[in-house]
Amino acid sequence: MKNFKIVVLSIMLLLNLISCDSFVDVETPNSQLTGVTVFEDRTTANAALIAIYAKLRDSGMLAGNANGSGVCLGLYADELTYYGATDDNTSFIFNNTMLATTAIASQLWNESYQQIYSANAVIYGCENSTGLSTTDKNQFIGEALFVRALVHSYLTNLYGDVPYITTTDYEVNRLVSRMPTNEVYTNIIADLQQAIALLPEAYVAPERVRPNRSTASALLARVYLYNGNWAEASNAASAVLNNAEYVWETDIDKIFLKDCTATIWQFSPNLVGNNADEGSVFVFQTGPPPFVGLREELYTSFANDDLRKSHWIASVTDGTNTWYHANKYKQNTNTGTSVEYSIVFRLAEQYLIRAEARARQGELSNAKQDLDMVRSLAGLPNTTANSEAEIIEAVQQERRFELFTEYGHRFFDLKRNGTLNTVLPVVKLGWNSTDVHWPIPETELLANPNLTQNLGY
Amino acid sequence: MNKFSLYKDRCIIMVCCLCFQFSGAVVKSKVESLKVSPSTLRLRSVQAQLGITKIQQNITGVVRDASGVLTGVTVSIKGKPISTITNENGQFIIAAAEGDVLVFSFIGYTTLSMTITMANFNGNALNITMKEDATTLKEVVVNAGYYNVKDKERTGSISKITSKDIDKQPVTNVLAAMQGRLAGVDIVQDSGSPGGAFSIKIRGTNSLRADGNQPLYIIDGVPYSSETIGSIATSGTAPSLTSPLNSINPSDIESIEVLKDADATAIYGSRGANGVVLITTKKGKAGKTTFTVNGSTSVGSVTRTPKLMNTQQYLAMRQQAFANDGISVYPDFAYDVNGTWDANRYTDWQKEFIGGTAEVNNLQASVSGGSAKTQYLLSGNYRTETTVFPGDFKYNKGAAHFNMNHTSDDDKFKLAFSANYTAQKNNQPATDLTAISRTLAPNAPALYDADGNLNWENSTWDNPLASLLSEFDSNIKDLTANTVLFYQILKNLQAKSSFGYSDLKSTESRTQPHTLYNPAFGLGSEFSGLSVSQTDRSTWIVEPQLNWTTTLGKGKVEALVGSTFQQQKTNRLFMNGFGFSSNSLINDLASASIKTIDLSDETIYKYQAFFARINYNWNERYILNITGRRDGSSRFGPGKQFATFGAVGAAWIFSNENFLKDNSVLSFGKLRTSYGTTGNDQIGDYQFLDTYVSSSSTYQGLIGLQPIRLFNPEFGWETNKKFEVALETGFLKDRLFLTTAYYFNRSSNQLVGIPLPGTTGFVSLNANLDATVQNSGLEFTLRTVNIQRKNFEWTTNFNLSISRNKLISYPGLESSTNANRFVVGQPINIIKVYNYIGMNPTTGVYEFEDVNGDGVITSIDDRTQIADLSPDFFGGLQNNFKYKNLQLDFLFQFVKQEAFGPTPGVPGTAVNQLASLSTAEGQQPLTSGVNGDLINGYFRYAQSTGNIEDASYVRLKNLSLTYDLPLKKSKSVRCQLYLQGQNLLTFTNYSNGDPEFKFSNYLPPLKVYSAGVKLTL
Repeated sequence: MKNFKIVVLSIMLLLNLISCDSFVDVETPNSQLTGVTVFEDRTTANAALIAIYAKLRDSGMLAGNANGSGVCLGLYADELTYYGATDDNTSFIFNNTMLATTAIASQLWNESYQQIYSANAVIYGCENSTGLSTTDKNQFIGEALFVRALVHSYLTNLYGDVPYITTTDYEVNRLVSRMPTNEVYTNIIADLQQAIALLPEAYVAPERVRPNRSTASALLARVYLYNGNWAEASNAASAVLNNAEYVWETDIDKIFLKDCTATIWQFSPNLVGNNADEGSVFVFQTGPPPFVGLREELYTSFANDDLRKSHWIASVTDGTNTWYHANKYKQNTNTGTSVEYSIVFRLAEQYLIRAEARARQGELSNAKQDLDMVRSLAGLPNTTANSEAEIIEAVQQERRFELFTEYGHRFFDLKRNGTLNTVLPVVKLGWNSTDVHWPIPETELLANPNLTQNLGY
Repeated sequence: MNKFSLYKDRCIIMVCCLCFQFSGAVVKSKVESLKVSPSTLRLRSVQAQLGITKIQQNITGVVRDASGVLTGVTVSIKGKPISTITNENGQFIIAAAEGDVLVFSFIGYTTLSMTITMANFNGNALNITMKEDATTLKEVVVNAGYYNVKDKERTGSISKITSKDIDKQPVTNVLAAMQGRLAGVDIVQDSGSPGGAFSIKIRGTNSLRADGNQPLYIIDGVPYSSETIGSIATSGTAPSLTSPLNSINPSDIESIEVLKDADATAIYGSRGANGVVLITTKKGKAGKTTFTVNGSTSVGSVTRTPKLMNTQQYLAMRQQAFANDGISVYPDFAYDVNGTWDANRYTDWQKEFIGGTAEVNNLQASVSGGSAKTQYLLSGNYRTETTVFPGDFKYNKGAAHFNMNHTSDDDKFKLAFSANYTAQKNNQPATDLTAISRTLAPNAPALYDADGNLNWENSTWDNPLASLLSEFDSNIKDLTANTVLFYQILKNLQAKSSFGYSDLKSTESRTQPHTLYNPAFGLGSEFSGLSVSQTDRSTWIVEPQLNWTTTLGKGKVEALVGSTFQQQKTNRLFMNGFGFSSNSLINDLASASIKTIDLSDETIYKYQAFFARINYNWNERYILNITGRRDGSSRFGPGKQFATFGAVGAAWIFSNENFLKDNSVLSFGKLRTSYGTTGNDQIGDYQFLDTYVSSSSTYQGLIGLQPIRLFNPEFGWETNKKFEVALETGFLKDRLFLTTAYYFNRSSNQLVGIPLPGTTGFVSLNANLDATVQNSGLEFTLRTVNIQRKNFEWTTNFNLSISRNKLISYPGLESSTNANRFVVGQPINIIKVYNYIGMNPTTGVYEFEDVNGDGVITSIDDRTQIADLSPDFFGGLQNNFKYKNLQLDFLFQFVKQEAFGPTPGVPGTAVNQLASLSTAEGQQPLTSGVNGDLINGYFRYAQSTGNIEDASYVRLKNLSLTYDLPLKKSKSVRCQLYLQGQNLLTFTNYSNGDPEFKFSNYLPPLKVYSAGVKLTL
């Protein structure tokens, strides 16, 4: 009995004395890697970068889904009509009654800055890496700079003056101020020029799903165009158009296929057999449309012999009424083997950029030549425009027909040309002149005293 | 630093242990030197008694109460180690001598003493009648977790309910059983769907983090993690993820103790900040083998729904809205008003979608019994619940509970084992139809076409019933087991260790068949999807303890030291399948043509602590209780893992003072106070690490890596200082017992997710907030025995809690991201709102006060009115009547609070509104959706003083009527018939349906009627 007591006491004592300093230490869980390790290895650093593309594809303004710029800005401008249930998001966009509290305003804002954070984390990680080769560092940093410039360009187009974020430090980023649009563009151009210097011309992956030097040039051309830097825009577009990698596709039905030779950059799908999200958002088979349909005015403004009218638009009828949908991407479900990828940059836009830039500089015949490249694909005769103003006007028309429902081109074109407030009030009852900018999200204003609201909100 | 202080702690504990061992050794050697063992002592005393002519004789008798014989009553002789228990016929036999005092004790009954006299010495059987104990609350022993304490001697704040109250309620969740019955405990039902969770706040909101206010749950000594399980992709109708608390079967619970103040919670250290809920399951009772079967059937329906417009009112509103906007030709997508839909059709969608009747069947059976040394209990429970939604959905729950207690012959070794196993299967729609039932146009088309198929009315609407095709399935199996070994090393020294294990396995899935979507999209089953989430969570815990008692002067000393080692491992696997050859294969992940894994991880939480308690009780008058704990948690980064917490509690039982001892009015009086610190580590695992995780999506066929958080390695423990002073008074032999408590808690260095602007890439950052939050309040508990006669008893319980929350300081608030959220001197859960002035008489739009007078209404400058939607006070009033075999019990719950009114959408757009909007007083400006100013105004109105209304309520929470069939008393058969009801009546002025909600537009709590029978053999 006595021994038993001693045993019990000893056990009690022992349990209290077990070396416990390490008991509450835990290893990093199997499913996580520390930030430093990620950028010591080529494979994991690459994985950090492709996660950004997956995010660009699935969230924020470049997404092909119902929350991306294709749908949102198509509804916000004059391309799409909303048929869905009254809700606080999409119907507000359609009615141009956005508020600072509307969820989509903060959603797109937050998702965009999340993408920018990830890009900055890649830049920071690669710069401080000791394990990556210079070639890999250049590739990864170049791509991340391109992403940073791309997302900021959409932000500034939608929200006006926006903070330009170049660090991952939250102490800095939480107190940023809005940067004037022209400075934002200066930063975008600087990032793109650096990206062009760092990125190789050759694609690092098949199917053109990773940006190369020409992709950065293509964005740079667009940015110069939006800024009225005509010569630079023309040169940047030429840098792309002169690249032998790209071959002008003359079959209108092949433009949105994943193997199109006129594609500059497209998104790789999430799953094998998936197709561009645009297909499942726009395509419907019976009317009325369950979600969105093309505005009838847009359909009727196409010339009847425009191949795009018959090949890129489809109609659905119930016998009395007819509805239209964008039919650029035709697949709305998984097809086992993917057929269509979401194309972010394609040659036609570069021709139209150069056409406009050349026209603005007085190079009229060269401008017409670029314009006719695009028209010929649509089966249209050469343009009849002659004067500089006519050609510029013709290019704007062509952009409307060529780029409809793609990444908000229509809205941005009306905006940069200053025609938003003359074109939209006619068709949109809820349009106000201050609607040129989306509201800065209220949550953002509340959390950062240095931010200010746009006019009209 | 930490290592050093930990080492210091260990030294202290080691010294303590050595002291115990030493003191034990001293006593031991003394005993041994006398060469007397306790058993020989007993023998000698008996012999001595025999010698002094006191003749030992067998005394027999029967113990009864008002309704029959009592089995398992302990019969002992005062001052002697002799005891027995009554058998199934209430009979006992015990050897005693004249002058001995027989003591009869039984839980729930007043202890009875009787001196053996000549009169009952002559072989006459004793007839003992015991009384059920209605008044001596203070004799009750309260479980304080690591130790038990007599209610009258406790220094801490502990509220308790027992199976008596729990069994009267037809509820499935343990928190539901506590609602309205405990002072300081605020419980709100999140959703009326089966398996829906409850939110609990003990003494106000301590943490700014919404998920940081959970108390610590302990079942039979094993901490039970209340962290939600599953993933958003597989969630069901509930507004939050699945709460594991449903695994606890209320009918297996003997008692629930809620520890509130520092004195009671500091021994739980880091986990005690939000209070501790101790759940003690039922134990076996000695005596004859008893079988109990209890079956009931209940029906439930929605308590209250808002009154909405009918078709005529609705269409009038729509037409007016278009007229206001100057639109005479209705757009082609305005199906409700442009003639596409039948203007004469009317459906009450609330009746259609949530107006059904849920049926609940419950069957509980148990067997228990045992000897004086070994007792056991085995029980099983089966329950099924259907929903009020259309369709065939079911929630099944089966539970088994086993308990065994054993004491060795010499009473030195004790073993207690208990295990609970629950299996739940919940099949629910994935969508709660409550929201759509309140917004859908009343002239929307029929749900089914003539062939009985879902009617999509030519794509003019999304048929709400389609969403029921997406089903949520949950299978949860949960085991908790606990063993406590107890050994009496010396008379005054006990060693005890508990070993606990819990294992929860959950599989949830949600289907997304293609039939969910409008056929106009032309999708097939290749578009159907399935999400599956598996969560396995296992915990083990070992808590060795030493307990030492001694006397010091006129006082009694109790000391306790112990340590805790705990590890929790969680494995999660979230998967998706997409593309099925047929929807009949949709529940088979293997049949999906594309399968992805969203998450596969294993997280480990380790926790370790040393704790100690010392209690000094001087002459049952002055009591001092000191507790302390040193905690280490793996949730903090290196160098931040350890922290020390402690508390001092003191009580003065002034009714035991000489000047009050024989007071005929005041029967009990105690003043107690406590002060101490507790902490909180509910921040999640690994949050201090800067890590990348696999993203759930692929690109180029590869899985990406994404940063998951802004990391902050610096965050550490938050501390919570608690002060309490309370007065407990009993009058007229405790027939009136009043407890008044005032508490004052301050938490600082709070561990919160500090909101960040989106420009940082994330919306929050875990960090210690340099702010102090104060919770103070008053709690009253009154218990009265109004009438106590032989055939009629009436008792009343009343509790009232008033709590106030205040932000005391926040250095740098102005420049922080919280600048527009908090105000120093105001509660932390305030909402800033606009000051609504009214509708502009000329333009008809909403008008708000322009606080800074700049001519425009902006959120930052003009949203300055402060609204506090936390309850001002809440409580419950319970009455219990007993007349012969009939028992009636009812509980009224009351809450004084304000809430936002309904905001279904902009009035005039295609959403239904409250019927009151059609009246002149309730009128609101209308637009069909194109008037931006109006829409802007409406959303400001939604966040303005104009939309805040009284949501106070009084509710007949529970009604229970029990009838004991008058069977022959000799037969130990008892049959009880009962009728019970929950949420039967609700009195409120709230316009948006039921006033009890945490998230609006979810299914409100159900009104339940229940009938059952309980048979005891």
